[in-house]
Amino acid sequence: MKIKSIHILLAIIIIIGGGILLASELDLYNTTRVKSPRKTVEGLYDVTDMRGSHTLEEIEKYYQLPASSVIEAFGLRPDTNPNFFQLKDMKEIFKPVELEEEEYIVETDTVKVFTSLYLKISYVSDETFYLPEKTVNYLIESGKLIGEEKDYWQGHTFKLEYLDSKYLTASEFSKIVVKEAEGFKVTGKTTVQELLGSGITEEKFEEVTGFKVPEDKSILVRDFVIDKGIEFGEIKDKFIE
Amino acid sequence: MAKKQKKDLIRLAVQIFFLALIILISVNHFRSEQGLAPLLIGSPSLHAVCPFGGVVTIYTYFTEGTFIQKIHQSSITLMWLILGLTLLFGPVFCGWICPFGTVEEFVGKIGRKIFKKRYNNFIPFKLDKLLKYLRYVILLLVVINTAISGKLLFSNFDPYFALFNIWSSEVTRLSLLVLGLVLVGSLFVERPWCKYLCPLGALLGIFNLFRIVKLKRNEKSCINCKACDRVCPMNIDICTSKVISDHQCISCLLCTDEIACPVNNSLNFSVLERKNLKENSEEDSGRKINKNISGGGK
Repeated sequence: MKIKSIHILLAIIIIIGGGILLASELDLYNTTRVKSPRKTVEGLYDVTDMRGSHTLEEIEKYYQLPASSVIEAFGLRPDTNPNFFQLKDMKEIFKPVELEEEEYIVETDTVKVFTSLYLKISYVSDETFYLPEKTVNYLIESGKLIGEEKDYWQGHTFKLEYLDSKYLTASEFSKIVVKEAEGFKVTGKTTVQELLGSGITEEKFEEVTGFKVPEDKSILVRDFVIDKGIEFGEIKDKFIE
Repeated sequence: MAKKQKKDLIRLAVQIFFLALIILISVNHFRSEQGLAPLLIGSPSLHAVCPFGGVVTIYTYFTEGTFIQKIHQSSITLMWLILGLTLLFGPVFCGWICPFGTVEEFVGKIGRKIFKKRYNNFIPFKLDKLLKYLRYVILLLVVINTAISGKLLFSNFDPYFALFNIWSSEVTRLSLLVLGLVLVGSLFVERPWCKYLCPLGALLGIFNLFRIVKLKRNEKSCINCKACDRVCPMNIDICTSKVISDHQCISCLLCTDEIACPVNNSLNFSVLERKNLKENSEEDSGRKINKNISGGGK
């Protein structure tokens, strides 16, 4: 049998198109991850699975690490909103540093190491061998670093510098910091859990979307409404009206 | 000739469709990060719709049941679908679907106009043959390093990610450099990334050795005009083989009698052994040679 272009086209439609449709029906085509990190055998949330997309509030929720401690330990603005600030936002605030002839960026892995030291949870990093001086001092002052561990980290510090020298003093700092006065905003990254946590009632959710609050509250509001055939842009502002 | 151009449009249409789809997904992802609603379809990340994500996470998936950072279930599903398609027809993904290959091909059309017959013939044959194995080294390095680190290291120099995510802060300078080199290289060599560096192309290329639908040349009816060799983007020596199982074939069908080969039933994709075709081809060849002896071309 001779195979022509039209047969290849049909094969692509059937195998790829049909395969994706079938996989979606079988719940095997998830293009997003649930936001909760995986758990260790001890039942605790695994520090290794901490992600750049996690907000400070989520870190507090999953790991019981106070958002205020991260803000203070890293010298973030006091008005940083834990609801919005993601760990990966750090690389837009701090200058990369040169450590042992390699560029190091203060980001998710730095917070993982900080979390492991603060909470005394085991985590072995293969990239963070130095911490900001400010962070080490915070850990020492909080009594989280003692003995050999303290000696090691005191000898492995670097000075943290801001990319924008006006970061701490500017009246506004783009999208990184969202003032409380602006109120809660529903964005494409807001989960159902965050929405309910902001004070939106389940009745209000049902009134706006026409559907009950899903059991899995870790999914994004945007994904939930799109899945129900609703235009996210049309309803996102109705939650706070 | 008009008939042939029309047929080649099918592949072009598929390429444009997937290129537009990836651009739309990229735009939607950007809109989503800005808190805006996605247009027409959802807003998954580019990692979520790349089958190579499934390949690099395969070790973690089977040993720990999880995915590496930034990779989702969809990547694994796409990987199996693409592997299934490749087992049947060879690396159709490379020749028809991959948006980065399409971009290289489009840039290559400019190079072809500039350099004419010299285009895609700048690299000496022996060096070209050797360089084509480089992508297997990259495949091994990427898979092993990802298994060890649990991180998506490949995105640090992935020109596909850099091109379609150029607005993102996740794009590294190294990947932008690789992207620039590949695009400039495409002016001289057809599909340089696919040919020498692409790790997914390397994996899919292996399927050429045992794929079900094979590219076969009828030695009896072939007039040895080398039209097939001239149009092959991957510089495969087609006109001396009976069954073309070269690991570089991307199943683009350009060489077949549907497009370039001037002799009916002389070079085509087929799934069953032909018996009658050989006889028919001898009769047909006389009629078609006069019309198309100048050979194909893009």
